[in-house]
Amino acid sequence: MAADANAIIAGLGGVDNIIDIEPCITRLRTEVRDASKVDHAALRAAGAHGVMAAGNVVQVVVGPDADTIASDIDDLID
Amino acid sequence: MTTVLAPVAGYVVGLAAVPDPVFSEGLVGPGTAIDPAREPGEVLAPISGLILKLHPHAYVIGGEDGRAVLVHLGIDTVLLKGEGFRLLACEGDRVRAGQPVVAWDPGAIAAGGRSPLCPVVALDARPGTVRATLAAGGAVRAGEELFRWD
Repeated sequence: MAADANAIIAGLGGVDNIIDIEPCITRLRTEVRDASKVDHAALRAAGAHGVMAAGNVVQVVVGPDADTIASDIDDLID
Repeated sequence: MTTVLAPVAGYVVGLAAVPDPVFSEGLVGPGTAIDPAREPGEVLAPISGLILKLHPHAYVIGGEDGRAVLVHLGIDTVLLKGEGFRLLACEGDRVRAGQPVVAWDPGAIAAGGRSPLCPVVALDARPGTVRATLAAGGAVRAGEELFRWD
């Protein structure tokens, strides 16, 4: 099941917290303003297989639909 | 049962050896990884099916039975933005197991400071359904059976 774009945005701390989202083949590489606003449990509940954070770079592992989910998120953000 | 072929020649090292937790912790599925021979070559389709996703550095082949296998060429190679990779097929193409999909040079990836390891992953496979045909540490030829997905 594909992860839910709206729930991922919320889990990343909302639209205003997201600087950039780039899809790799299995994951979303995101840059956030405030990493403390990222809710790992919410991201997992949204369908993420895992979440890895290093500083302000948060990788959300969503499986091979990453590019579709990233474009859904871009549509919702813009 | 799906037979998954080695996309590249090299040594089987297992997913645990991959310096990326997405693969080493099996977040997208079980499988194995190959440390590729450091010579330019073609990367093969591990199963027959449709190319569901095709990036220069990674691709997913979906089989008739709905199972999908991911091949990832090197670690953090998305950052190369396609440089050093040449596509030999298109997204949406139907390919046979063993057919070339991408051409690359693992030696150049390694020379650039990145790991050229190739994870081969049975996407979202249930635990216990993947059986290695070749144990970690062994040499593998491109196109040789790598693991079975029950």
